[in-house]
Amino acid sequence: MCAFIACAQDETTEQKRLNQESFEFVWSTIRDQYWDPTFGGLNWNAVHDELRPAIERASTMGQARQVMRQMIDRLGKSHFGIIPADVYGDLDERNEASGTATAGLDVRVLDGKAIVTSVDDGSSAAKQDVHTGWEILRVDGVPIAPALHRIAELDGNSTMRELHLSRAVLAKLSGAAGTVVRVEFLDGAGRGVTKQIERSEPPGALARFGYLPPAHVWFRSRRAGGNIGYIAFNLFLDPARLMPEFGEALRSCAACPGVIIDLRGNPGGLGIMALGMAGWFIDKPDQRLGTMHTRQAPLKFTVNPRLPTYTGRVAFLVDGCSASTSEIFAGGMKDLGRGRIFGTRTAGAALPSAIDRLPNGDGFQHALADYVSEGGRPLEGVGVIPDVEVKLTRQALLAGRDPVIDTAIEWIQKRK
Amino acid sequence: MHLRRQFLPTLVLAALSGSPGLAAPDESLPKAEEILDKFVEATGGKAAYEKVRNEKWTGTFEYLGKGVKGKVTSYRAEPNKSVTIVELEGVGTMQDGTDGTTAWQSSSVQGPRVKQGDERAMSLREATLRAPLYWRKLYKHAETVGVETVDGQACYKVVLTPEEGKPETQYFDKKSSLMVKMTMSMASPMGEIPVETVFSDYQADAGPLQPRKVQQKALGQECLFTLEHVEYNVDIPSDRFDLPADVKALTTK
Repeated sequence: MCAFIACAQDETTEQKRLNQESFEFVWSTIRDQYWDPTFGGLNWNAVHDELRPAIERASTMGQARQVMRQMIDRLGKSHFGIIPADVYGDLDERNEASGTATAGLDVRVLDGKAIVTSVDDGSSAAKQDVHTGWEILRVDGVPIAPALHRIAELDGNSTMRELHLSRAVLAKLSGAAGTVVRVEFLDGAGRGVTKQIERSEPPGALARFGYLPPAHVWFRSRRAGGNIGYIAFNLFLDPARLMPEFGEALRSCAACPGVIIDLRGNPGGLGIMALGMAGWFIDKPDQRLGTMHTRQAPLKFTVNPRLPTYTGRVAFLVDGCSASTSEIFAGGMKDLGRGRIFGTRTAGAALPSAIDRLPNGDGFQHALADYVSEGGRPLEGVGVIPDVEVKLTRQALLAGRDPVIDTAIEWIQKRK
Repeated sequence: MHLRRQFLPTLVLAALSGSPGLAAPDESLPKAEEILDKFVEATGGKAAYEKVRNEKWTGTFEYLGKGVKGKVTSYRAEPNKSVTIVELEGVGTMQDGTDGTTAWQSSSVQGPRVKQGDERAMSLREATLRAPLYWRKLYKHAETVGVETVDGQACYKVVLTPEEGKPETQYFDKKSSLMVKMTMSMASPMGEIPVETVFSDYQADAGPLQPRKVQQKALGQECLFTLEHVEYNVDIPSDRFDLPADVKALTTK
């Protein structure tokens, strides 16, 4: 018994030590690698000294993460975060533990209401005739509106508000595969409808890259509005699969008057994939999507032209949930005059980043550089402003329409 | 010596850091040619190099602390042909090579491209088999500029200026005469990238001594190449160094 207690105490002491080492790792990494050595006027040494006692007091992993998050939040930039260690476990274990299976729905918060914007084919929700445009009122009996209100107030005018709101709803819908979530909707006729939706694995193939949490990646291409290409994918990951699929989608559409690239809801991934994709639309050398400014040197995001060059019109669809590489791709192509952007302003979270493992097992995402688009504008905190602002509406979704796609199609067809 | 820099294609966010050690200005410095010739002797001597007609090496590659790993295979042949293949987990295959005239790169992410200018010149230099023997041909100027400590060891610092491209600085351990570090500005389509490369764990594999570990730092990132196996004078298919079809298409465009 005594031996057991002693052992447990040792473990706690060891965990505290690892948490303190992790704190120092996070602090010194930012000290050494943050692109702006003045930290925008923030006294980084003082931040360390202020929070060091808090990490020494932290007695749980949750408290330790909170202290480290407090530290990185002082920078006020995207792409800094602490990723709990359990997300790196085997996916099955992860689903069991924290639950990343989905209800097969995508959601945006439109005019303060959580609206279903897509329903995955074959999902439990699809089988139960859940429809785009339905409003989500409650999840497992808990009303959605108060949480959305709190987030909206907290985020104020932040460009990341739409992303945070959407993710908050999706997080409530996610859980372990095979479990059931009870969702109360308001349907198109204004009637309350309750569905018991079984959660399942998200569509797409599981992809891994370094210490990014494993993620399902899907790619879709089809024709829209007659002979217009339509391409969508949910992440810039798994390039060995996605890049050839992207190239093939374009080759098969060589005679199309235009292509729509739908980046709505795409939070980014490997920045270099944006360069690779841009190469199919650019035939001149030395064209850049933008420049990444590290502490050591600027790195130009130069596009490598690829054959055959697609010469038709290119429409990018974006929204407040399009972030990072999506913004670099769409914003850069706009600046190069090779794309027209439709939708709503993007998340303004476009800093190139890396993920390290901390001594305590958690992941630490940290931005490596500032990013300025080719047009000379920083994207961080600003986002990509569409050429044509088009908002989704509940009415359009209920009618089975997507006004953003419709507007892009109209623009491409004008070419004829 | 030839495992110096370009085994990593575009994704290399390599880097600089250059932690200058203690200079010894009052020391009489040996001439660069003496240091470079001593390096040849220290790694096996001219005779050992001259036996090499081609080589194949395999190893692993890793972005340190990022969980991104891969396998590397490289072929080299006289006079300056090379192909290096990196298979990176979660990314795919990247290749870098030259047939002695055209230097190229191709990846599943960015597609094929033909190198130009300083970048091409550097690739051709890097591909030169038995390069340590030919430094007089590869560089127009070499000068010993000081003594600095690298990892606690006093090293001669030699600046080599190529015919085409930016100067590079090599650091040779005073005791072992082995090159232990190099700093340079690497030409790339993304701009000039300051890179620091550290060489260690020299071993012989029936040929000249080779560093088993090559660690690069660039733009705050660090990667490690570990050489696992080297074979000399092996059967390499005659078309191994031919330009891939998609690269060839660019040269005839």
